Amino acid sequence: MLTLASRPAGRLILLIALATAESAFALEKPEAPLPADHAAKMAQGLVLFKENVRPILVAKCLNCHGGKATKADFDLSDRKPLIASGMIEGGGKKSQLYAVIAHAEEPHMPLKAPKLPDDAIEKIAQWIDLGAPYDKPLVEKKAVARSSDPTADDRNFWSLRALKIAAPPVVKNEGWIRTPIDRFILAALETKGIAPNPPADRRVLIRRLYFDLVGLPPTPEEVDAFLKDVRPDAYEKLVDGLLDSPRYGERWARRWMDVARFAESHGYEQDYDRPHAFHYRDFLIKAMNQDMPFDKFVAWQLAGDELAPDDPAAMAATGFLGAGAFPTQLTEAEFESARYNELDDMTATTGSAFLGLSVGCARCHDHKYDPIPTEDYYRMAATFASTIRSEVEMPPAPGAEGKPVTVQVTAEGFPHTKHHADDRGFPHFYAKSYVLNRGDVNQKKGEAAPAFLRVLMREGKGAEYWRVEPPKGWTRSTFRRASLARWLTDTEYGAGELAARVIVNRLWQHHFGRGIVATPNDFGIQGERPTHPELLDWLALDLVRNGWTLKRLQKLIVTSAVYLQDGTVDEARTKVDRENAYYWRHAPLRLEAEPIRDSMLAVGGLLDTTMYGPGTLDPNMRRRSVYFQIKRSELIPTMMLFDWPEHLVSIGQRNVTTTAPQALMFMNSALGRSCAEGLAHRLSNQNPAEIVRNAYRIALGREPRDDEAKLSLGFLEGQRDVYKRDGQADADRAAKVDFCQALLSMSELIYIP
Amino acid sequence: MLTRRQLMQQAGGGFGLIGLAGLLQDEGLLEASASAGTLESEKRLALGLGPMAPRPSHFPGRAKRVIWMFINGGPSHVDTWDYKPSLEKWDGKSIKEFDPEFKNTTGFFKDSIGGIMKSPFKFTPRGESGKMVSEIFPYLGEHVDKMAFVHSGFTESNNHSPALFMMNTGLARMGFPCVGSWVTYGLGSESQNLPGFVVMSDPRGRGLPKGSAANWGAAFLPGVYQGTHLRPKGPPIDNLERPSGVSDGEQRSELDLVKQLNQLHRDRFAAETDLAARIESFELAYRMQSAAPEAIDIEAEPEHIKRLYGIDDPKCEHVAKQCLSARRMLERGVRYVQIYSGGMENQLSWDGHADIKGNHQQFAGETDKPVAGLLTDLAQRGLLDDTLVIWGGEFGRLPISQTGGKSPGRDHNPHAFTFWMAGGGVKGGVSHGETDELGYHAAVDKVHVNDMHATILHLLGIDHERLTYKYNGRRFRLTDVAGKVIKPILA
Repeated sequence: MLTLASRPAGRLILLIALATAESAFALEKPEAPLPADHAAKMAQGLVLFKENVRPILVAKCLNCHGGKATKADFDLSDRKPLIASGMIEGGGKKSQLYAVIAHAEEPHMPLKAPKLPDDAIEKIAQWIDLGAPYDKPLVEKKAVARSSDPTADDRNFWSLRALKIAAPPVVKNEGWIRTPIDRFILAALETKGIAPNPPADRRVLIRRLYFDLVGLPPTPEEVDAFLKDVRPDAYEKLVDGLLDSPRYGERWARRWMDVARFAESHGYEQDYDRPHAFHYRDFLIKAMNQDMPFDKFVAWQLAGDELAPDDPAAMAATGFLGAGAFPTQLTEAEFESARYNELDDMTATTGSAFLGLSVGCARCHDHKYDPIPTEDYYRMAATFASTIRSEVEMPPAPGAEGKPVTVQVTAEGFPHTKHHADDRGFPHFYAKSYVLNRGDVNQKKGEAAPAFLRVLMREGKGAEYWRVEPPKGWTRSTFRRASLARWLTDTEYGAGELAARVIVNRLWQHHFGRGIVATPNDFGIQGERPTHPELLDWLALDLVRNGWTLKRLQKLIVTSAVYLQDGTVDEARTKVDRENAYYWRHAPLRLEAEPIRDSMLAVGGLLDTTMYGPGTLDPNMRRRSVYFQIKRSELIPTMMLFDWPEHLVSIGQRNVTTTAPQALMFMNSALGRSCAEGLAHRLSNQNPAEIVRNAYRIALGREPRDDEAKLSLGFLEGQRDVYKRDGQADADRAAKVDFCQALLSMSELIYIP
Repeated sequence: MLTRRQLMQQAGGGFGLIGLAGLLQDEGLLEASASAGTLESEKRLALGLGPMAPRPSHFPGRAKRVIWMFINGGPSHVDTWDYKPSLEKWDGKSIKEFDPEFKNTTGFFKDSIGGIMKSPFKFTPRGESGKMVSEIFPYLGEHVDKMAFVHSGFTESNNHSPALFMMNTGLARMGFPCVGSWVTYGLGSESQNLPGFVVMSDPRGRGLPKGSAANWGAAFLPGVYQGTHLRPKGPPIDNLERPSGVSDGEQRSELDLVKQLNQLHRDRFAAETDLAARIESFELAYRMQSAAPEAIDIEAEPEHIKRLYGIDDPKCEHVAKQCLSARRMLERGVRYVQIYSGGMENQLSWDGHADIKGNHQQFAGETDKPVAGLLTDLAQRGLLDDTLVIWGGEFGRLPISQTGGKSPGRDHNPHAFTFWMAGGGVKGGVSHGETDELGYHAAVDKVHVNDMHATILHLLGIDHERLTYKYNGRRFRLTDVAGKVIKPILA
């Protein structure tokens, strides 16, 4: 704190402030002088604290406020956070803390527990008035400075330690078991004393499987064929067919695009397009369809230009690192901080996407919860020091035919992508990168040598252990990213086991609606713990041991009894496990924006299945939604209605909201109406009973129930009469379109049981 | 049944009783308040009113709603509200004489540094408080006794879009939720038939503010909390109009069928809590079709009210319409309205690089009477007491001239800017903080953007440190790790 408090305001202060670093922040409001009896009061307060207040705080408050948890960001474990919280502002009985413990204000504290004795409340108020002194913190905090190596405890945190090899457990109800996965699920259910559901019927299963694997509804013919298929492996055949479908890659690539915060424009002021960025999306679709091993999928996204420089797909894969937003309009004062922001975007996204760790939190200070020191953050960021966005013309892959294509890459040694900031001489990167104090480019603490997160470098291995040497004569790049990729996928001494846990959890999440770890981008201390840790490790090991291929593991998952279950609910089991955390049923899932729109087009007979190539912003496009161009300033409105991400930061799980504007889309949008018209067209020359039956079969994959058919037929007739009365030329058709639109508005269309 | 975690992530999907409790608790908002207030909104949510249902604040707030006239492009404080008589004395001298440390990269253009320049405008004392006000605000000058001026604002970027993001989201990077999103996330909206958070941009074809929709984005908050941008041309809100050839009656019978069929579906899935909400969402949507146009449409307003806002004045009729429309929406329960004055390119907003005099005359002329009319109208309806009105942009401008244009301009100044607030629990006729002699730097009682945001939330009854949302392993808040309520301007 500067001692400028008593100086007159004006120019003098200004000049002094300017002479100090960070003038903008250096001047603080002067603090009031301490009262004369301050020391005496504090001494008195300390006695009160030790004898009366500390025991209350420890017994009744600490657990949720600074001990095991810090609810509402209110931490009373020490004086500093207590004062900073503002909860004791105003003094004893006027403080917010008093108000909630005296039950004068909501929320009444301690929460859901008896009120504190009046005497205790009184003592706390007195203690606040005496300055709220502490003799020592209520909890022994772990050493704040983490600059030392991670401890054995750190390394033993559930997500960071080695995978545990566990045999699938023995269960009582062997009859339910279909795969080893089921043993882990059932064993847990049996300890809870609740039974799982039997398989759902085939109509439910085919629809569930279609949306999960390809994101589109089955046609009536496909449903009929599956219902009639008496082969014992009919379901397995269905799974195989869908995993082989080109639609599979379109569904699963889109999920990774959320994680990769992928968009095709720079964002910020001008939001210039990145016209060659779509190749990354196409790479994802192809990689998913070809079942590219996940370790290679990781490596190519980080270092495809180093590992397979002749392969256009590998080059396009590096679009991952450069997919973030970047302010192409920059002033000189912002050049360096903008570059560090860009390095942060690459580092933080790499951490969230592959490791489920909030590495970015260590930019300004050592990570507050996870064992990631700031130094590790900057050393990981240094990997990308000379990595920039470029546009490279690529000849076709060796052996392939076709014309050269220009691909956006994120690499080293190519000319940088041109943009606005070039006019002012933006250097695009700085050869050296530094450890910064508080993330401030004006506070450099020494050069950062590229390395990785120490807590995931096992058995004393140093960064050089993962060093990948470039081929002889290679000068274009440093191979730092190739080395990073090696570390990330090294299951023996590196981060590979965590990477495996993170990706199998993502698969699980998309099949069940919730991951075994409910926070897919946070496997750290603040994240959720796995509901089935042994299963998670088993799946991760299974992935690694089988060459990191995802489709095989997905097949295992969707052929498990736990996946096949129906959705039946009962009170007894709900009482035991309201959240279905143990998977005693299959809970319905609300579709995301893409399958909602794609289904409407498919049902309307309007879907264009052309794959790949540049996307478009045209809302009337009829290709699958994955082919929308993602321009940060012009996000597709229909997609945004259904919780599309803003594509600025890595998103592991989308929100799911239900809103009136969504309903307006079904009621009034050009999309809703044209799909209804399309469906009506598919029902040409049919009588009302046929219209109703076939509309249900096409839209919902089933026959209408009697009550539904009756309502529908009644509507067709009544609505036709209304249109006739209103002088509509083709009243039958108008009524049919309205009926089709009503069907497209059904909850059943977008909630998949 | 959904998990608590899912409910948290659904935010809006959590229509059930458990949903709300879980949501609020997990988000640290209204920490664990199984309170009467919460029960009230639980009831509302159970009725299917959704993620925008009104929710109690942390403590009683003085303001219930906010309207922010965003002075887009960066208004020059020394030519508007921050009277600097010393500029006369220094006029024409080099800024280096005043501050040897001056860097030519302070503004945006480093090669067009002119001398210190006095304001081209006359200042006169206005109101009982005698506040010195630039002549470009003949109408707003009448209201200075309602306003609390903060002259010591400063920000962190000298570049529009980062500074706009800073002002709207508290961080100079793209990708964080804006104030309006935080507020509607925290408090919901009083109206379910209208969007809770509305944004209006320039209707004269001059474009969006720089950084476009990210200025009203919800980022990682549920998308339902993003601002609804009323299109300046054509239908203001998507999908409000029925398909052509379908009458109200015909649509109503179609929706009745939807309702009945969805009801049958819901009966078969009684345990799924959001199905009821989905059915209700169609009813809300049906009502929105008439409620939203009615709220936006100013035709029903009497002539004298229209004139009060300046609708009869071609210079400002466009902003007048927006302000009047905004009042109607606020009156009907919309929580948060933001109106951007001006568009995107230099000189098409308050970004007076080339001709500060002409530029500020023009944009003050476009907004002065409409905003003054809004203040009068809110006050006469008793709405000003609990409506917070904010006037301010993304940064200030330098006290030196920018050369090279047709007339002297002024370049960006991140070190000082002025904003004012009125109504909603703010003291009238006061000025807080000071800039230095020339208005170059904020110097006394400096106010960071985080402090401004903390104050807005405080006025709404929200503790800025407790309104949090957990994303990727960290609890985020509007004020990041800082923010101090500007207490001296609180009534």
